[in-house]
Amino acid sequence: MEKSIIHQVFYSHAPEIVWDYLTKAELMEQWLMKNNFELKLGHDFQFSVGPVPSLDFDGIVYCKVLEIEPLKKLTYSWKCGPGNGQITIDSIVTWTLQAKDNGTELLLVNNGFKEANFNVVIFNAMNKGWLDNMNKINKIINEAKNGSTNA
Amino acid sequence: MAVPTLDVFQVIADPSRRQMLRMLSEKSLPINSLAEHFDMSRPAVSKHVKIMYNAGFIAIEDIGRERYCTLKKDGFNELQKWINYFDNFWKGKLENLETLLNNKIKK
Repeated sequence: MEKSIIHQVFYSHAPEIVWDYLTKAELMEQWLMKNNFELKLGHDFQFSVGPVPSLDFDGIVYCKVLEIEPLKKLTYSWKCGPGNGQITIDSIVTWTLQAKDNGTELLLVNNGFKEANFNVVIFNAMNKGWLDNMNKINKIINEAKNGSTNA
Repeated sequence: MAVPTLDVFQVIADPSRRQMLRMLSEKSLPINSLAEHFDMSRPAVSKHVKIMYNAGFIAIEDIGRERYCTLKKDGFNELQKWINYFDNFWKGKLENLETLLNNKIKK
């Protein structure tokens, strides 16, 4: 399964300005979130998004700068999970800038979601919620069976 | 040995099968390796494997002389939930950036 998140937005500002907002930690924080980004190949950094209990997500995104093409392209890894260093989401974020009509066309692609990591998540989900359901269903089936035998 | 077709709830009701699924959640394994971890006959392990296969929990693939079991995730939409979350996340953030840039130009 290959799934991609794609967003394309036109900003009526030069690529130099948009690039700054994508690559300077203090500017990124203003629209994205708190981070310790540095425009250095191989730099490890984190974003704090805030926890999402329904996804079993502790709210920290772990990233590494993978590719820099000044004013044109920026790629970093995008990993997160429930905490304690466990990673359930392992993906890639790519920003592409293109000068157009006195502005910038910005393309965001978040993809490369590796499915292998989901085995654990799925199993945990199965174990937590499903066993409860299973017991309920067993109870219903047994009641139905007993009901029909008695009748 | 007759292999019954069980529903997903019946499949995970059995502790041995749960243990097998847990092991397969870490990596794919040949049936023989799986069997080594259980105090039961090889045909009994095969029967459990067949039950899990019939219920769509695992895929079986022949590689060389081994039959490999792999956990399948059909019907579980965990990944989709994450993708939806980040899709909305990015949409919102890009709108923030637009607002920020537009305010900047007005100043």
